[in-house]
Amino acid sequence: MSEAGSLVDELRALEREAQNAIAGTSDPAALEQVRVAFLGRREGRVSRILRQLGGLGPEARPAVGAEANRVKQVLRGALEERERRFARERADTGTPARDLTLPGRDRWRGARHPVTLVVDEICDIFARLGFTRARGPEAETEWYNFVALNTPLDHPAADEQDTLYLKGGGLLRSHTSPVQIRILEEYRPPVRILAPGPAYRRDTWDATHAPAFFQIEGLAVDEGITFVDFKATLSEFARRFWGPGTRVRFRPGYFPFTEPSAEVDVKRRVVGADGRVEETAWLEIMGAGMVDPAVLENVGIDPERYSGWAFGMGPARIAMLKYGITDIRMLYENDIRFLSQFA
Amino acid sequence: MNVSRRWLQAVAPGLDLDAGEIAARLAMRGAPVERITDLAAEIAGVVIGRVQRVRRHPNADRLSVCEVDGGNGTVQVVCGAPNVRAGACYPFVPVGAVLPGDVRIKRVRIRGQESRGMLCSARELGLGTDHRGILELAGQFDPGSPFAPTVGLDDHRLDVEVSPNRGDLLSHMGVARELVGEGGIRLADLPGAVEHELTVRTGSPAVDGAGVRVRIDDPRQCWRYMAAVVRGVRVGPSPEWLASRLRAAGAHPINNVVDATNYVLLELGQPLHAFDLARVAGPGIVVRGARQGETVRTLDGERRELDEGMLLICDPGEALAIAGVMGGSDSEIGEGTTDVLLECALFNPKGVRAVRRALGMSTDASYRFERGVDPAGLELAIRRTVSIIVATAGGEPAPTLLDACPRPWRAPVVALRPERVGRLLGVRFEAGDIVDLLEPLGYRCSPAAGAIEVTVPGHRSYDTLREVDLVEEIARVHGYDRFPDGLGAFRPGTVPDDPLLRLHDRLRTILVGRGFLEAHTTAFAPAEEGEVEVLNPVSAEESHLRRTVLFGLLHAVEHNFARGARDIRLFDMGAVFGGDGSGGLPRETNRLAVAMTGRRRPHHWSAGDRPWDEWELRGLAEELAAAVRPGECSVEPGTFDSTFFEEGCEFLLRAADGSAVGGAGRVSADRVDAPVWAGPVWGLELELGDGVRRRPDPAFRPLPAFPAVERDLALLIPDSLPARQVLEFLEKGGGRDLVGVSVFDLFRGGDVADGYRSVGFRLRFQSGRRTLTDSAVDRAVRRLVQRLKEEFGVEPRAGAAGPGR
Repeated sequence: MSEAGSLVDELRALEREAQNAIAGTSDPAALEQVRVAFLGRREGRVSRILRQLGGLGPEARPAVGAEANRVKQVLRGALEERERRFARERADTGTPARDLTLPGRDRWRGARHPVTLVVDEICDIFARLGFTRARGPEAETEWYNFVALNTPLDHPAADEQDTLYLKGGGLLRSHTSPVQIRILEEYRPPVRILAPGPAYRRDTWDATHAPAFFQIEGLAVDEGITFVDFKATLSEFARRFWGPGTRVRFRPGYFPFTEPSAEVDVKRRVVGADGRVEETAWLEIMGAGMVDPAVLENVGIDPERYSGWAFGMGPARIAMLKYGITDIRMLYENDIRFLSQFA
Repeated sequence: MNVSRRWLQAVAPGLDLDAGEIAARLAMRGAPVERITDLAAEIAGVVIGRVQRVRRHPNADRLSVCEVDGGNGTVQVVCGAPNVRAGACYPFVPVGAVLPGDVRIKRVRIRGQESRGMLCSARELGLGTDHRGILELAGQFDPGSPFAPTVGLDDHRLDVEVSPNRGDLLSHMGVARELVGEGGIRLADLPGAVEHELTVRTGSPAVDGAGVRVRIDDPRQCWRYMAAVVRGVRVGPSPEWLASRLRAAGAHPINNVVDATNYVLLELGQPLHAFDLARVAGPGIVVRGARQGETVRTLDGERRELDEGMLLICDPGEALAIAGVMGGSDSEIGEGTTDVLLECALFNPKGVRAVRRALGMSTDASYRFERGVDPAGLELAIRRTVSIIVATAGGEPAPTLLDACPRPWRAPVVALRPERVGRLLGVRFEAGDIVDLLEPLGYRCSPAAGAIEVTVPGHRSYDTLREVDLVEEIARVHGYDRFPDGLGAFRPGTVPDDPLLRLHDRLRTILVGRGFLEAHTTAFAPAEEGEVEVLNPVSAEESHLRRTVLFGLLHAVEHNFARGARDIRLFDMGAVFGGDGSGGLPRETNRLAVAMTGRRRPHHWSAGDRPWDEWELRGLAEELAAAVRPGECSVEPGTFDSTFFEEGCEFLLRAADGSAVGGAGRVSADRVDAPVWAGPVWGLELELGDGVRRRPDPAFRPLPAFPAVERDLALLIPDSLPARQVLEFLEKGGGRDLVGVSVFDLFRGGDVADGYRSVGFRLRFQSGRRTLTDSAVDRAVRRLVQRLKEEFGVEPRAGAAGPGR
């Protein structure tokens, strides 16, 4: 084997070795080391072979020189290619030239009111239990607000709600219960409705009172509806809303338009600060009961054939419990720093 | 109703529960306890102290230096009370103990004499108002033993929340009956109280006896009036057992006669009134309606002007008391009273309610009469009161009890079907079970064919007169918690989901998606913002019902401006009220309002900020109008509510029938109190109707098979000609193949003459049948240009028609 032939072989071996080394680099610094090791002007292994060219015979020199130049070109190309790849990767992960860590164009985030969130959640749960939503006027007559609901105006029960009256007649409904009457006048059983909406009382603003507040009325009237259905449906709701494991308690109560009447309390399970599951105190969530037969008679429904149950719930209070809001006035101040927390 | 635990246990001897257990049981019976007060807790550090010796303070005339045995040996105490004497026992607070009001007793020097503790008056212990001297205890006690039990204060006060239908729970006997049943209660033993031989003499409407005549002139309002006379009483402070029992129930002792009536009120629930017989002319009692202009001075010192017909207790001459509400000061029991006339009456609850409301007052008596006093309990109550008065104030009862009774009470009987009970409650109850549940509450049951005949006791004769009332009693006594709660089958209802509430959902989705925050404003407004007036408003700011929703939103914008916010986007939906509704009610319609100010988007480092402008507003208005009235609502320049928007910068939203249904615009500077740095505020208000208009189902059109060709056309339009007219002309007059016209540019100045602007229209041509050639499209554009010239005198800008992008 000639001297020239062995040099050419050596160059080709170096080429393979260098290609492997380039492919094995993971960052520009390692790539530079590879470049210096093979193509470095003084110590580079390819350069050293080139320096031996002077010792070769004139007939061997061009072949080895051409091969050495070819290997240099190939390796330079491979180094540049590798360099470009690193640059691309740098661009993808953020380089000073295009720093994609910067924030994107934000949009304003809108939000439903926290009371709406609660109303919607309640209505969704009841929708799965066969309920639709209904509505009635906020300015009402004494008939719809009191009398038809079995609440005579000369009875102390009418005191429980300090009512706002309107000049020229009518009043602002003191609860959403008049919707019961309006719906039963218009539709025949089976009726299963929820009536969310504002109600009004002559209260001055403080941390727990507002002269205008949201209420959700619920009403189910059909043949064969019993106290057991009443307990079952509201317990089912409470467990779906407050979570499984929630305990529900029905206490006797008094409302002129239900009989028997009940106050419904829940005891929730929450995870305490130490990570253990604990039960809250009993929280009163609604007033409810079986529809008084006098109410059914007032809308021309035979109470011997039909029965029903009804409830009234305060979603504002529930929103306050659910989101930890301590002052009801926050719900009506419409401070955007408050409202945007529900986005 | 304030209930003393010890008093309860005195009338229900078997009630072996602590205050917390009593409260829990009452809650499950429908009478929750709002608060339990441990009466001894505040004075837990106070002990019995016996004064061994008393000497005058060497340096002060009014003070004495006492040696007090407080259980831990004898200490020296300086005392300022005039009534301190050796050998007597007093409440004593040793050094280190705490008095009500968080006063810690320290060792002090008073005028050179050391004092190590304090002897207390009733007031200092929170037991009353007496501050004339220290509280001397009657009898002997062990020095150092706790003070609270000696005055009956090892007790709890339960504040029971009684619903308006349960007047029977406004007494200790009533609460005890609810807890242990009729069989477990009895009148409490009272020191010295004995039963007297009294004979009832009944008449109607008048009755004489005991030297007094009683006559009822208004039997509609006064159903029964019993009277007793006790002569020769000595009015003075009540004995400690009586005073402390009243205090434990939250009442203030007054004197032995009045305290006896208050005791019976709290024990049996029957209000009574004691008159000084010497102040009753005749002597005779007339129960009648007030005459026109009549007045009476009540016990609280007020001169009350009465409306004609208000029920009064009078002597033959003038008014003595307002029946069932409050006594008069002229016939009040005082220290000089020797003869007492006791009233124990039954008044019409509705009448008492009407009178006390008209007079703006409420008393313990009126509260009970309104809720119904046991019509069968009067005789027991008046006999009990006589016994207590004689035991505590002496005197001799007249042997005749007068009973004017125009309306004798008969116990109601209610038929109760066990089958109906099961049908309503969902659990079967046998007749025997029902009897067992009802009889402890005082009901008498006699089973008959198909139904039980239930005789209602007097104390429940106001609220359990129907079968369903008894069904509730059965459920209540059985225990609500014992009913199963497994969900059964149900039929879906016939009521459709309310279309307006569905529209609310859709509008919320749109606006929340656009970055708006839902506000909740109320329907209240000040006078200038509403037409409908509230008769009894809470404040002037809330004296009317709003005419617009936007007003409240602008108020919210101001609230946020005041807190430094620049970028505000709010919306709300709700009712507004007008004056001309039907059926005596205001006209009520539902509206959406939107308000926004500041930047369209949050600031981004890559570009400058753009504020909201009329074009954003118009676009939003069009989107909302399309959601509310699909395909039939237009937006055009114009005025909807002239009070809100700046002239020349407002849009009118019009329904298909031409009626104005909303407006939008730049809010006038005088409508919103904005800081100098704030940007313009934009607002919108839109009638929602009833939400029944739904978008019709889209009818599918085949997708175009041939390409579209676009041409841009810049027209020089004089300022006097609204661009909309040109746009509509192009849309209508461009032929079938012109499928879209849009505005892509607006230019003034340069080569455009003053008084003109160049509006660039992009015309999109497309045929459903063939590929349009350039020459055909160019012909169509030239035709349009020619017709525009004829119609409006409008010329294309130089180098006008050209190919589209």
